Amino acid sequence: MDIIQMKNVSFEYQQDQPVLENINLNIKKGEWLTILGHNGSGKSTLSKLLIGLLKPNQGEIIVDNILLSRETIQDVRKHIGIVFQNPDNQFVGVTVRDDIAFGLENLQVPRNEMVERIEKYAHKVNMAEFLNKEPHNLSGGQKQRVAIAGILAMQTDIIIFDEATSMLDPKGRKMILEYMKQLNAEGVTIITITHDMKESVLSDRIVVLKNGKILKIDTATNVLKDQETLEKSNLEMLLPLKVLRYLERENIADEKVRSYLWQLSLKR
Amino acid sequence: MKNIVIGRYIPGNSFLYRMDPRTKIIALIVLMVAVFMIPREAFEMMFVGLGLILILLLIGKISIKRVYLGLRPLMFLLLFTFVFQILFNKTGPELQAWTLNYSFLNIAVIVAIVVFWMYTKRFIKAKFIYLILMIIAIITVLNQLTLGPIFATRQLVVHEDALMIGFFIMMRLIIIVTLSTVLTLSTKPTDLNLGLEAVMKPLKYLRINTEEMAMIISISLRYIPTLLDEANKIMLAQASRGVDFSEGKLKDKVMQIISLLVPMFIISFKRSDELANAMEARCFVPGATRTRLHQLFWSRLDTISLVTSIIILIGSIAVRVVT
Repeated sequence: MDIIQMKNVSFEYQQDQPVLENINLNIKKGEWLTILGHNGSGKSTLSKLLIGLLKPNQGEIIVDNILLSRETIQDVRKHIGIVFQNPDNQFVGVTVRDDIAFGLENLQVPRNEMVERIEKYAHKVNMAEFLNKEPHNLSGGQKQRVAIAGILAMQTDIIIFDEATSMLDPKGRKMILEYMKQLNAEGVTIITITHDMKESVLSDRIVVLKNGKILKIDTATNVLKDQETLEKSNLEMLLPLKVLRYLERENIADEKVRSYLWQLSLKR
Repeated sequence: MKNIVIGRYIPGNSFLYRMDPRTKIIALIVLMVAVFMIPREAFEMMFVGLGLILILLLIGKISIKRVYLGLRPLMFLLLFTFVFQILFNKTGPELQAWTLNYSFLNIAVIVAIVVFWMYTKRFIKAKFIYLILMIIAIITVLNQLTLGPIFATRQLVVHEDALMIGFFIMMRLIIIVTLSTVLTLSTKPTDLNLGLEAVMKPLKYLRINTEEMAMIISISLRYIPTLLDEANKIMLAQASRGVDFSEGKLKDKVMQIISLLVPMFIISFKRSDELANAMEARCFVPGATRTRLHQLFWSRLDTISLVTSIIILIGSIAVRVVT
């Protein structure tokens, strides 16, 4: 079943300068999809369209069988959560507890249930001991975990990670990726937006975006194999595949090396 | 910079900390009105007020040193009102009169004293007392020294009313500032915000959205440390490019401040844009009904405190009626 359908979606900030052109994309329930693209490819715009922060100039977006429009925007937002890039600029509450509560307060969840959910989801992202801490005493990775808890508490079935790991240190990044895997295993539909090939390998399917157009939609393995597309979209190749390419050019890659390097690059 | 405490909240444990913020705000207003109700004629009542405040500080376990720190910025204002009263209030019986002799040499001595004070005050810790000492020294010089030809004499007359009213106004200010300091010392900014929101709820009938105002205050509270951090970073970045923030003429200072303000503005706008997106994405609709995680609970302590402060108000109204 398709949880998100985008039909002929186009968007432009200024006339005749389309940021996204004729996007057709179906996302299955429980899928992990990566939207891969270089800076300015329109990938962040795509996420803003999905959550109704921007309105498409053309086409329609259907989320959980609800056609996104001015009237249904709040309903759609109950189904989609988004973690943004900058950990500091999405922390609304004065403390961790307040921040997780923010979305729940907006959804008018009764207080008793709110307290329960805060406890539960703070535990889930291992932030339970930090509930009374203020954001300036937390690391970037911890703040992103709070953001995830805030969305989980709202019990959305789709989570968008809009370059959520790009401002984190390697340790924080690894941890967030772990949570993505875990959530996906629990049935949450995950959309990651990134320019990092390493992250995209984890997902089921990859959408390669360039200049507002979809270049390719395929499984991670197939996209990695398609060097032509990757080159066209200015994306950095994974290191093992780069090595493989040099070896192949020099004609010294045997079958064993080839399969080993592929294994290395597809390691989840 | 990270640890700047807004509102000077000092963690502690006493009945003041357990009180509902609404009670504290209402009691503060009630007690302020009570202070203003005391008429000038009954200025002895100010001692009663001061006594009550000392009792409050004692059983509320608020350190007097903290309250003094809150009062310190007010010292000059207090001195000014007092001096003003003495110079210009000419009613009531005379208490003491000094003859002030003006001569060129006297004025020269005074200028010397002021210059000496200006240069030495940076080495003196008790600046306020030093200032008072200087004023006393000037008056003494004018009164005692008769160097050279005197071209004018004036009388400095201190009247009883001047002393009394000066003292009265001083006490009033001290009591009010102490009371508000007690409020900010014993209440977390977030609780204070909640309390203010609840107290201002009647403004809804004037179509003022108190919930939105509370949200604005809470977001400002949350972003103050972040922005201070940012300012610090920009200052370091500008310093590494050769801007010296500590020295320079007025013109240079203005340029330095601009080099800090412009990036701060741009960053803040970008931040607020992203924050607005994040809030909207989490289903925030301005003005919509929301449930609240933080709820205020009224206890017996609050009833007792409020009744006590109303009794004090009635007492001071009674004093006004009697005199």
